[in-house]
Amino acid sequence: MGKNVDIKLLESIVGKENVSNHPAIRYVYGSDASVHQSMPDVVVQPRTIEQVQEIMRYANAELIPVIPRGAGSGMSGHTVPIDGGIILDMKRMNRILEIRPEDMYCRVEPGVVDDDLNRALKPYGMFYPPSPASSRIATIGGEIANNASGIRSVKYGATRDYVLGMKLVLANGELVNLGATTRVEAAGYQIHRLIVGSEGTLGVIVEATMKFIPLPKLRCLGMATFDKIEYAGDAIADIITSGAEPSMLELMDHIAIKAVNTTLNIGLPDVEAIVLFEADGKVKEAVDYEMQTMKSICEKHHGEVKAMSYDAQERTRIYAGRKKLFAALSRYKEGLACTALADDMAVPYSKMAECAKKIHEVAEKYGVIMTAYGHCGSGVMHTKILMDPTKKEQWEAAKHAVEEIYDYVHSVGGITSGEHGIAISKAPSWKKARKDLLPVMRAIKRALDPNNILNPHKLMDAPEDWLTATPLRYWVKA
Amino acid sequence: MKSKNKHSLNPDTITVSQRVTKEDKMDTQYLKAWEAELNTCIRCAYCFEGCPIFKQLGWEVDGARGKAVLAYGLLTGELEPSDYVVRKIYECSFCRDCTERCSANVAIPDILAAARADLVSAGFVYDEHRALLDKIKQTGNIFGKKLTPPIREGETPILLGCRFLERSEDAQRYLEILERIGIKPKVFDEICCGMPFGVLGYKDELIHHQQEFRKRLPGDEFICLCTTCTFFIKKSYPELNPRYVIEVIRERLPNANVKKLDLKVTYHDPCNLARGLGMVDEPRDILKMIGVEVVELPTNGKEAECCGGGGGLLVTNRELAEKIAERRLNEAIELGVDMLVTLCPTCELNLGNIAKRGDKIEVRNLLDLVWQALK
Repeated sequence: MGKNVDIKLLESIVGKENVSNHPAIRYVYGSDASVHQSMPDVVVQPRTIEQVQEIMRYANAELIPVIPRGAGSGMSGHTVPIDGGIILDMKRMNRILEIRPEDMYCRVEPGVVDDDLNRALKPYGMFYPPSPASSRIATIGGEIANNASGIRSVKYGATRDYVLGMKLVLANGELVNLGATTRVEAAGYQIHRLIVGSEGTLGVIVEATMKFIPLPKLRCLGMATFDKIEYAGDAIADIITSGAEPSMLELMDHIAIKAVNTTLNIGLPDVEAIVLFEADGKVKEAVDYEMQTMKSICEKHHGEVKAMSYDAQERTRIYAGRKKLFAALSRYKEGLACTALADDMAVPYSKMAECAKKIHEVAEKYGVIMTAYGHCGSGVMHTKILMDPTKKEQWEAAKHAVEEIYDYVHSVGGITSGEHGIAISKAPSWKKARKDLLPVMRAIKRALDPNNILNPHKLMDAPEDWLTATPLRYWVKA
Repeated sequence: MKSKNKHSLNPDTITVSQRVTKEDKMDTQYLKAWEAELNTCIRCAYCFEGCPIFKQLGWEVDGARGKAVLAYGLLTGELEPSDYVVRKIYECSFCRDCTERCSANVAIPDILAAARADLVSAGFVYDEHRALLDKIKQTGNIFGKKLTPPIREGETPILLGCRFLERSEDAQRYLEILERIGIKPKVFDEICCGMPFGVLGYKDELIHHQQEFRKRLPGDEFICLCTTCTFFIKKSYPELNPRYVIEVIRERLPNANVKKLDLKVTYHDPCNLARGLGMVDEPRDILKMIGVEVVELPTNGKEAECCGGGGGLLVTNRELAEKIAERRLNEAIELGVDMLVTLCPTCELNLGNIAKRGDKIEVRNLLDLVWQALK
């Protein structure tokens, strides 16, 4: 903190109106959707690639950290400037530069919002599928940096599957063109793929070439209830291994159901688990086939299919509980905050139910409330820790709970993060599980950013204890 | 690439910042009540999507999340209440788009109203706000002049609201609407509902004003002509039971003798009506009943963009409020319609002022069309 940043110089690069080191602006840009908080020294809003290059040349020469930031919706502290420096707010670089329906790709600036891109693609009958839940505000640059995905990743994959290429400004200000505009490329290192998920540590994405695909014509959504979460877990594993092609496969545990029912009163069945399953496609017979396959599998595993519909309004009704789950959790009990810690692990399909049970067990042991839900079709288990964030002992309990859950996840072959990334909060557990990988990742980081100015102290370089890595953004009382 | 080894950039060495709170921080008696709500906010930033201020100014501090973070900083003492912070806290039109889009429905405008109250208590007072409130205190209305209500000695109390009280000819017409649908209006010597005291942060003065307002009311049940007054009264006077005029008209219009107008317009949903009172269908139903076709704006209903006129923004930063209105009006012009209708008199004023400058579209109150259809 307290870097001697030359504000006048930055102003000369991007214009006075696009630079601010006002304490209020620094304070606002010091947090995101994570539990962390640390103020930058200055916030800059570049408009052009050349401006980004100039800023990087300056920062590299003066050893000032630079943290690229999209919507700032990361849940693990990706854009929290742990050691101060310059926040590069990329939201002003938000032009869709080109849409080529004939070649099925587009070129966009990093600040383009996911939903805006999809609105622009819709008239062509196309869509960009990875859309995370935050697609209404998430920027393409942020999604690439985090390899974002969402409810339909079970069928359509994650951001990495749609990045054909990009323009990247390196730590020293050099501009490199990565990837291609074609669907395939077999010419050396696929550096653009390395940048996906690199969390702003290797370069600043200043343009992206993204592929898109045709919109499905039909969608059908079903809901099955289960008396035991093991049955739901078995059904999910069976659906996947049967070769069925769900476009969505979601699980909600009894705590999630209770949260929705007690806070939103939308009358979800009072059972131990709910599975939502969806298929989409061009031909009704094909979609019907997928739905019937999944329905039969749910029934085989003692599930009761309560609803199945193609109708958009009915689908909205069926999905309402899942859609509003986050809201329900936030309002589960007065005084409890919904914190994103150990929130997006992925486990093998066969361990889904066991993982949910482990989460409940750990929550009870440490006196916090945790739910298990998620995009189980892609192996992602979401959970949130509900706790009183003003109490120091609750944070200590959360820390132990996170550690124990991750030890379990890794012991069954799962991974630390399927969707939300590592950054600060998840780094200790991830580093513990991937010790072998860290030297390689550090070597790559040093090669591209020898002065360690790009989003430093994240991922493999993050502190060993997330709880003390930065001040918490909550006001913890003594 | 040159390599230096400054201590602070060694990956193994971090200068972790410390939470700095001032011992003598501003007294936050009103914000304190919102600490749990501020902790409920997960700072997901979904509120950026529709925030009219963020769309105009583009820094995160201008968006709803940014303002909630500022309020948190004031509460914890991490932020000092500088003129800049005060300006940002007041640059909000209270459109509630943020609350509508929030996963947890965090009431950011209510939090900002509390922050404003603490700032006022700490002595951060805009002269323009003070002047407006003094006008209300002196004359009972926001215009600071003697306004004579069009007294009617009927049965059902009608609250006109300051803006319609000042537009006496319009008020007469709107009362005629009520008469034509079988209501006998009782107009009384009303005063302002107190909304400006509330949204601008003058909580203590509001309590005193509320007592005066109640004294003038003939009863707890009445019909209110103004969208904003209705919303404010429902929120701030739980013992009162106002009905918004549009509810009553929709109920009774099918039994009235209506002339079809054969018009094509667009309809702007006032924030306090759509998001505040949840009335999205009612105005559209009425327009349909009187033969008016509605071409919808790109954002409508509960997701409608704000006109920029609320939350005291027209007083605090008129230029910003008008830029927001201009953006909204341009959307309407692009639809190719000749008229934008709305219900809230503040929307009508702010959008209307911009419309008059461009002469491309007319802004009317929906009640004017109802009156025409009942003539």
